[in-house]
Amino acid sequence: MADATERLVNLALYLASTPAPVTALECRMAGLGYPERQDDAAFLRMFERDKDALRAAGLVIEVVTSEEAEAYRVDAAATFARPVDLEPGDLAALRAVASAFADDPGFPFRDDLALALGKLGSAGHAGPLATSELSAIEPDVQGPLARTIAEAVQTHKSLTFGYTNAHGEEKLHAVDPYGVFFREGVWYLTGRDRDADAVRTYAITRMRDLEVNASRPHTPDFERPGDFDVRAQERLPFQYGGRAVSAQVRFEPDVAWRAERLTRGQGTLETLGDGSVLWTVEAANLTALASWIVGEGPALHAVGPPELLEALVSGLKRVVAAHG
Amino acid sequence: MAKGPDTATRARRLLALLPLLKRGETIAIAELAAAVGCSPAEAAADLAALTMCGVPPFTPVDMIELDIQGDHVTVYIDPPGLDRPLRLTVAEARALGAALDAAGYAADSALRQALASVSGGGASAAELERTVRAGAAPGGLASLYATLAMAADEHEKARITYLTGSSGRLSERVVHPWALVNRSGTWYLVAFCEGVGEERVFRLDRMRSAERLGVTFPPPASVPLAVIPRPDELPVAEVVFAPDASLAEARTWPGATLETRPDGSTLVRVGYQTVSWIARRTAARLGEAEVTEPAEVREAVHALAAALLAERR
Repeated sequence: MADATERLVNLALYLASTPAPVTALECRMAGLGYPERQDDAAFLRMFERDKDALRAAGLVIEVVTSEEAEAYRVDAAATFARPVDLEPGDLAALRAVASAFADDPGFPFRDDLALALGKLGSAGHAGPLATSELSAIEPDVQGPLARTIAEAVQTHKSLTFGYTNAHGEEKLHAVDPYGVFFREGVWYLTGRDRDADAVRTYAITRMRDLEVNASRPHTPDFERPGDFDVRAQERLPFQYGGRAVSAQVRFEPDVAWRAERLTRGQGTLETLGDGSVLWTVEAANLTALASWIVGEGPALHAVGPPELLEALVSGLKRVVAAHG
Repeated sequence: MAKGPDTATRARRLLALLPLLKRGETIAIAELAAAVGCSPAEAAADLAALTMCGVPPFTPVDMIELDIQGDHVTVYIDPPGLDRPLRLTVAEARALGAALDAAGYAADSALRQALASVSGGGASAAELERTVRAGAAPGGLASLYATLAMAADEHEKARITYLTGSSGRLSERVVHPWALVNRSGTWYLVAFCEGVGEERVFRLDRMRSAERLGVTFPPPASVPLAVIPRPDELPVAEVVFAPDASLAEARTWPGATLETRPDGSTLVRVGYQTVSWIARRTAARLGEAEVTEPAEVREAVHALAAALLAERR
């Protein structure tokens, strides 16, 4: 008897090369490797799992229903990719990121990335030297957990986990996962906490005993709000806290090119007549914005509101006094 | 013994190998291993497994006929039915999107749009973009990244314009790009700088521009990939944070140690490469933090804050 991997490959080859759709029974009898002394129900469960595994590998299995039975074959148009012409720079960039993340356990999708590059025909050439250490904090734990959560986000399956908050309090949470994101060495989950009935964000480093609802794996547990966008979580440090107000920061002409880099898509940028760039952005904590301006300087200036200027000046006076 | 991949994962790898096997070709197993992200030994085992696979009625001509000799494999038959690359699965599209996020490629970039066109069903690129973000490199980084990746790959010199953190000035340099290194989401270029005659590390987000010069450089025998100096090689500053101060940033300072003191304040010891760096980091705390040692850093913090105040007058 063929082992399970060989059986899956045989089934894939059979469904891809058959001129006409084949039934489950035909697959069973074709010598693909299904156990001979298996009852019908066990065979059908195994056959369904095998089809799911092939779908996960990228095969689109066409189902043809007749009065007698369902029959299957690979839908070639939906399964096979047409060649993609990549610009040399893009190809080098792809190879660099793939090379960097290949050995980084903190990147949750490295196995998928390697297979994706193989499909694109971009592998086989090592590419430039590149390495990565996304996280120094338990990358072996964070990476796989983030992968599991991303899959639950995709399949709309609920999660439960123990969580220790910033005050050291531990609690069990049931969460509908909406998105997963990474920031400065830590992966985060954003989703609806079922008990609190509110959208919350959790650091994966503070989780334990994560479990995905295993019941009815093909049935979604929840609907994600249509307007959810995990990018909204990518706020700057001064955008957390109380009520947001509009603030303005000016980049001198010499550093105007940095505006796009530093503002990370938040707020709006306006180039002024002298070449400087005026950034208008929502800030929930003006002292934190003043701190950000000093930290990212030189050549960045607070423009308004007056409370921002007051926070900056009073803060700098404290610095002068402390170091005088 | 290390745990191997589960059946479905290994089957995915075997199926990914199939389109790479062209009748009449002799291929290095290491090349196939690189193509599907496994070790040459795993690829050799996968190829051996493929020789046991085929289509009904499983006569010799229906089997995948390969000859594995040492570190090469010769292919005698095109894999039946699966001789072309498959579309990307949702998981693969997600992985590519996440990796390219980290290199600064926006969802609407030409590259990501091209890759979306070869993705299968199940999830749109837009849906993945709204639910998974794996780095979010600063905007405008993609073209720099591509230029430097190509230069490093082809051992080609590059001219960069770089904002030096210590002086706050732009400088133009000719460099030999050796490697791209990601630490905690920030990309660095490790390169030989012709102007100073030594290796240097450059943060990509402080690089204004990069262009390839069409001139090659000899590849180095080895490349140092430690982009952040070891703390024990640097002078140390002592910074005291007030009891109610946020320590979030200090915790990210490379090599910093934090010690809570009896009065609730926190003493942070951190190595610094330049006085201007630690002075700016401290001044940015706007009074929550005070450098106690050394004196030259204290003076630099004072001077920086005084200069910034003078700008306001």
